[in-house]
This record gives sequence, C-alpha cells and structure tokens, in this order.
Amino acid sequence: MDIEALKEEFLNKDFDEQSFDVDADDIVNFALACGEIAPRYTDPSHPDFQAPPTFASSFHAGRRMPEGFPKIPGLGMDGGKASSLKHPIRPGVRLVGRTHLHDIYTKTGRSGPMTFLVMRMEIYDPDGVQLATADTSVVIRERPGK
Amino acid sequence: MILDLHTHSIKSDDGRAKVQNYCQWIRAREIPIDGFVLTEHRQYDATSDYSSLASEFGLCILKGSEVETEYGHVLVFGVTDALLATFDFSDIRLPLQRVVEACAAHGAIPVPCHPGRKRVGMQAHVGEFGVPEGVRIVEIYNGGSRAREDEIAQTMADDLGYLGIGGSDAHIVSHIGRCATRFPATISNTPELVEALRAEDFEALTFKT
Repeated sequence: MDIEALKEEFLNKDFDEQSFDVDADDIVNFALACGEIAPRYTDPSHPDFQAPPTFASSFHAGRRMPEGFPKIPGLGMDGGKASSLKHPIRPGVRLVGRTHLHDIYTKTGRSGPMTFLVMRMEIYDPDGVQLATADTSVVIRERPGK
Repeated sequence: MILDLHTHSIKSDDGRAKVQNYCQWIRAREIPIDGFVLTEHRQYDATSDYSSLASEFGLCILKGSEVETEYGHVLVFGVTDALLATFDFSDIRLPLQRVVEACAAHGAIPVPCHPGRKRVGMQAHVGEFGVPEGVRIVEIYNGGSRAREDEIAQTMADDLGYLGIGGSDAHIVSHIGRCATRFPATISNTPELVEALRAEDFEALTFKT
C-alpha cells in the first residue's frame, strides 16, 4: 500500500456534508451521560448553557470514507476520537459538518504493522464560523498469523 | 543525575500527556528524576521550545526520537538537521543498519528500545536477521513493558554485551519516571547527553512496582 500516493489523492478533500439540529435535550443528555455536573452543560436555563467540549465527537458523517478509497487489507477497528472546541456549541442552530480525510499514517506495535486513517469533521455554525473539529480514527491491523 | 530517556507527549499520535503536565506531576509527586527526554514516534519535534518550562520546574527537558526498523523501535539521541536529512523518520520499515550508520556519521546514539517485546523489540528479530552491527546500548528497563519483556531485554543485553538504559515510555502523565537512567555527571543539553551515553558510564533504574 503506497501511503504517500493515497495521501496525495485523498487528503484534505471534503467528501461528506451533513446538517445537525442541536436542541437543549441533546446537550443535556450528552452531558449527563458523560458525568457532567456543571450547570452550564446540564441546565438549559443557565445563562452560559452550551454543549460539553467533547460533544462534537457525537456527530457522524454520512460516508465513512471518500468515494473510490481503496480497501486496505486487514482488520479494521475504532482507533479513537478526538475533538477540539473553538467556540461553544449552543442549542437552536443548524450546524453543518464537513468531513475530509485528515491523515494517513502507519506504525508498528506488538500486534504488527498498522495503518491509521484519521477522518476530520469540521463543524460550522450558520454564519460559517468554525465551532469545532472532531477526529475519528480507524486503525487497520494485519490479520493474525501473517 | 537521573533522566527518564523515553517519553512521549501529545506530539506523538498516541501520546496523551502535555509536557507541562509531566513537569507538574514530577514535582507534585516528587518523582525522583531530574528531567526527561521526549522521544516522539517517527518524528523529531524541532519546533517546540520547552526551555521556559525547564526553568520554571528546574528540570532538564531534552528531545530525541523513536524510529521504527526491521529490528523494532529504536530511540535516537542527538538528532540534528543533518541527521534528519539522511533518512525518513516516518518510515516504519527503516533498515536498522542505515539508522546506525547515519547516527555514527552525525554524532547521534541509536538505542533499540523495549527489545524484549514481541514484533517491536530487537530480540524478536535477531534470530531472523542476525545480531546487528553498531549497537552498543539497549533499553533494559521500559516502563510500558511487561516484566517478562524486561527480563528478555536484560538477558539479551547480558548475552550480547550491551549496556542498558531505562526509560518510562510514558504516554500519560502518571507514567513518567517509572524507569530512568542515572548518570554521574550533570546533563543540561543534548550534546552532553550524547557525550554521557558515549562515555558508557550510566545505570538503568526501574521504579516499577
């Protein structure tokens, strides 16, 4: 698998766009599930009510991978999530999430060689202001016995 | 002077610790080390400047790298621009001999790390590829290795006449200082670290419980 060729062809090109309507219940439920107790995350009447910082990672793209992306042989699994908040996410607005392939890299671990694919969703408010990014990593490892 | 020679910050893809938080943890928990070396995976972090943190916390903070070869992972101490130009640090299939020769040519020290681990440790590949030339030091205490893996590393070092260092391989704050290396001299910069390793006068330490 030529990683550099894949990067050249697929990196940093939006391949998905989704709209998300966030209401106060979504935020409260997420916050409580995370164990948050701060009122600004759990009480919609709080003057600074907003989503917890990791809320952006709850959004999902419609496509998992760019169209035409080749199948990388091996076992695929969740490689983790990371989110970065630039401005608070508040209820009552329609957000737009645009997703691109942000990085491809390889490494070796106890289980052998692995390829990591990092999808990044950039989340914008209706004015086009970027509120957050949410990275979803997929790790593909060699099948055991190889 | 005691240095943890193997740590990762958030600059590594799997690192979850900020350098400032390492410093705070070392002081708050009175971890018995005087500093640490950031050995980020498959890269050399040439841009980050930790000198103010080093001053604030009274710690020695140096930078190296951890690259990947057919013999497993290898720490590199004494990375320079010239060394960076000789091979691709992000390549996970670097020939160890090339790394060793490049380090020799540019005054750096290669140290195979966690050599007792399956696949990513040197011992697992000696049978297939033979004993590599030019290796003088290996990591015999690794904070992330299992006890059996450290034993394999120590046995290999004894059998092949290697010197041993210790490093925590910390990826999270609370793991820093689990293993380290004691030097008789004070070390305050990378050339002094390289010189101390070259002098072959050091002792691997483990604080794992």
